[in-house]
Amino acid sequence: MSFTPEPGTALAVYYARTQPRTGAVLSCRSLGTLDRVSIGRYALTIGAADPAHYDPAAALAAGYADVVAPPNMLAATAEWGVGTPEARLQPDGLPPDGETPLGEDLGLRVMGAGEEMELVNPVIAGTEVVLQATLEAVTPKQTRSGTCVFVTTVHTFTSAEGAVLNRNRRTVVLRNPLQES
Amino acid sequence: MSVSFQAGDTLPRLTHTATALQLFRYSAVTWNPHRIHFDDPYARQEGHDGVVLHSHLRAALALRCVTEGLGPEWHVAKAAYRLRKPVYAPADLAYTARVTEVEGDSMTLELAEEHPSGEVGFEGTVRVSKTGVRKTDGFGAPGQTP
Repeated sequence: MSFTPEPGTALAVYYARTQPRTGAVLSCRSLGTLDRVSIGRYALTIGAADPAHYDPAAALAAGYADVVAPPNMLAATAEWGVGTPEARLQPDGLPPDGETPLGEDLGLRVMGAGEEMELVNPVIAGTEVVLQATLEAVTPKQTRSGTCVFVTTVHTFTSAEGAVLNRNRRTVVLRNPLQES
Repeated sequence: MSVSFQAGDTLPRLTHTATALQLFRYSAVTWNPHRIHFDDPYARQEGHDGVVLHSHLRAALALRCVTEGLGPEWHVAKAAYRLRKPVYAPADLAYTARVTEVEGDSMTLELAEEHPSGEVGFEGTVRVSKTGVRKTDGFGAPGQTP
């Protein structure tokens, strides 16, 4: 029999609630248009010096129509548009209605665990980005640091014209609140 | 000038000190309000040893090792990584990339994040291809719908 979280724990509630949604489309929406400043700021923050991230002329010379985002910028952006008002954020700061279901009322501890990315087309300033997110797997595991649930979502980013930009498979790890673990 | 690679070749190590200031700015530019990345007392309440580096920041640094090591002739086509342990700022990190397979205009490299203790905190692979065709195709290329 496969492992399941201990009954009565927050992870057990989360698993019972979320696992049946496996395969569901979680989101399909336009995220807005990526601008030059956002791309430049992301590049600056990770220390990327390639002028194609900052300078339209350098990007053009490198073969891009406008400044190009570093490879994992779409994957890394947590909230799009103006984001969630502070009063609606969970105690850990995360928005209650992000692309991955996190059991917002359960006080679970959340961390990124890994990602697979397929970078199909370059991500250029001026592109309207559309995201479809699907819940692929909800998998409980017993690890050295205790019981965890790994949640995998597939994020397909396209341009508004339908060209695929990235296909990403992201996994986050959820743990019980500290007092329950 | 075109540089050819073969299995076993390594790219220059990318060394980096991740600071709490960088984590704050990374949270800001990605509009990520998760408190474990910028609120030290809160992160410790969750059982961490300080503010936690974002998994995506660690991936971005590892990918910089590849893109800066190879130069603009190559682009990242695929990447996959798995975190083995959390990292807390400030942290001295080194990212490495080693060619494991060369096939025509593409090659695969193995990625790692090394800590001063010698531990590997992050491991992954990246597939790169020669740049050129993809750029001139631009968006809307046939056969690239979801």
